[in-house]
Amino acid sequence: MTSSSTFDRLLDRVNAGERLTADDIAQLAATPDILSVGMLADALRRRLHGTRVTYARVAACAFDASFANAVPPVAREIRITGCPTSLTSARAAVESAKAVAGDRLVSGFCWQDVERLGSNAGLPVARVLAELRAAGLEALAEMPMDAIDDEAAVIDTLRQAGFDRLRLTVAKAPAAERTGAMLRAAALQARFGGIRAIGPLPTVLDALRPTTGYDDVKAVAIARLAAPNIPTVQVDWQRDGPKLAQVALTFGADDLDNVTASDEAPDGRRRAPVEEVRRNIEAAGFTAAERDGRFHPVS
Amino acid sequence: MVDELARKVMDGARVGAADALELYRQAPTHLLGRLADTIRARRHPPRIVTYIIDRNVNYTNVCVARCNFCAFYRPVGSSEGYVLGFEEIFRKIDETMAVGGNQLLLQGGHNPDLPIAWYEDLFRAIKGRYPELRLHALSPPEILHISRINHVPVPEVVARLVAAGLDSIPGGGAEILVDRVRKLLNCYGKASADEWIDVMRHAHRAGLRATATMMYGTVETDEERIEHLIRVRDLQDETGGFTAFIAWSFQPEHTERGGVEATGIDYLRTLALARIVLDNVDNLQASWVTQGGKVGQLSLAFGANDMGSVMIEENVVRAAGASYCMDEVEIVTNIEDAGFVPKRRNMHYEILGDPIFREREVPRMLELATARSAGDTSVPEQLRQYPARSRAGKQLRLAQ
Ligand code: SF4
Repeated sequence: MTSSSTFDRLLDRVNAGERLTADDIAQLAATPDILSVGMLADALRRRLHGTRVTYARVAACAFDASFANAVPPVAREIRITGCPTSLTSARAAVESAKAVAGDRLVSGFCWQDVERLGSNAGLPVARVLAELRAAGLEALAEMPMDAIDDEAAVIDTLRQAGFDRLRLTVAKAPAAERTGAMLRAAALQARFGGIRAIGPLPTVLDALRPTTGYDDVKAVAIARLAAPNIPTVQVDWQRDGPKLAQVALTFGADDLDNVTASDEAPDGRRRAPVEEVRRNIEAAGFTAAERDGRFHPVS
Repeated sequence: MVDELARKVMDGARVGAADALELYRQAPTHLLGRLADTIRARRHPPRIVTYIIDRNVNYTNVCVARCNFCAFYRPVGSSEGYVLGFEEIFRKIDETMAVGGNQLLLQGGHNPDLPIAWYEDLFRAIKGRYPELRLHALSPPEILHISRINHVPVPEVVARLVAAGLDSIPGGGAEILVDRVRKLLNCYGKASADEWIDVMRHAHRAGLRATATMMYGTVETDEERIEHLIRVRDLQDETGGFTAFIAWSFQPEHTERGGVEATGIDYLRTLALARIVLDNVDNLQASWVTQGGKVGQLSLAFGANDMGSVMIEENVVRAAGASYCMDEVEIVTNIEDAGFVPKRRNMHYEILGDPIFREREVPRMLELATARSAGDTSVPEQLRQYPARSRAGKQLRLAQ
């Protein structure tokens, strides 16, 4: 951060409900002073959500595995992982998931999967989306902004196909590129609406050059500040790990996605995952609230 | 109240126990970080963050103390108990020096079958072979154990070990320096709070520098965590012997005590509080070994100015479930990415230079070594020269 007066000015603007400019965001993205960036994001996050942090128990199941065995009753969303090559198989996977899901949301696939299914079947993506939706798919699991060329066209297509709880993600863009992506996400939301959440941390992990803690919490904070018009900033409980996920809550995140739905405690753990999640949320000074796959509170 | 305390801290005033408790309980996490970060920046103005290349060697896992938070020890007579031979330790030193290491951190269980002569001979052998290497060895409870089983007073133990080559003392075994807690953790017998402090006092008076540690997250109250910090601060006022403070969270897996680990936020708040309370200790280490690289790096914004050790080997925390690993390349990346300048140091926190991998080629290390490879139950030849005290130890000597 450049100086405390700059910070105070930005904090006043955030608290007054004013939006930070692209220049402000760029300046924040460039500073090593993550505490200042975190404080701003936390102020905005509290204005939007108070002290509430939501979490969702998700049953992840490979498209070719048995959904009946993989989906415990406490799962609030069924997420299909992987993708077959043919549309027929993809549709069958969604139908099987839906049969087990009942009224719970079924998600799966990423945008690239949809394109591939379309080109393999010789069908336009709009038709692929319509068929998957008819089979029971309610949300795409991932929409990596760094892997999509024409984001506006994609969002428009999805909105037209009836997908109205979009979740934008980042595959592996370096920190510097993620800031631009978050600003674009805000612009897309202003134009099309329907974006429910952003997951700003990379979904593809690089073992030799992993992102750092500074990278990650700053990406979360920048997502919050750059896109105040997108309700939810998520981190992934399983992929990002409890420690980082918890710290991210104080840097602007308000939702823990992908909490394992299995209540068994393998590997000698003595607490069920959901208790761990709630303990971490509360230890960070927030109140924990379970949600379902449609972002509705679970009572 | 918190704002007033924050101003007090910013003005450089000393914080008492009641104020520390108020800050710890009431201050927002970012504010605690901001206070700690300000103090760090005042103490270490050129934005340098240090680290050391050393190896954490545990010479034995046989221990009579039986602390209930420990997953590392094996009881006397256990088939999984080991004592490293001098040659094994030399090999580890060779590997350490090959990657630029300059120090051996040597700690172990309270093994009743290792008399003081074993330590003296080991230290002399190491110093004879590697005169440049620094020996950072034997935490206060180990020194107390040596004193007890050899019937030699602590100052004399310290003097003899220094004569044999001991350079400095690690601050392990402090856990929480409150006897109520120590009794519950079954570590009061190995050293009461006063005994731990006394050994450190003797060591400091003998000219040794030492670190201080805290293992939190078991049964202690917030007040007791703060009492621990104040006891360290009081001794530091008296002797000035501590170079650094290191806090880590209890790692519950495979321990008799069990339970859950304190959270990442709890760690960052505790670290920040330590920076605020310990106004007379220069250096605070980030415990990436227990917190992982990411929260470890974030420690640099919450008061830490040192990334600790490129460990090469670690056995104790791993036994309790945590197995994070960072080699020099990764530690340096983390420091630079956080906007700091990385420098190698020795135990006295003297700067030794820039990252070694930028000076010469060193192998990448993506996994920490262990004390021994699995299944190695060999008994070192030279143990025969030292009389055993335990029945199992005597039988082992006879069988050799
Ligand atoms: S912590 Fe040290 S003294 Fe206690 S049981 Fe483990 S090895 Fe022994």
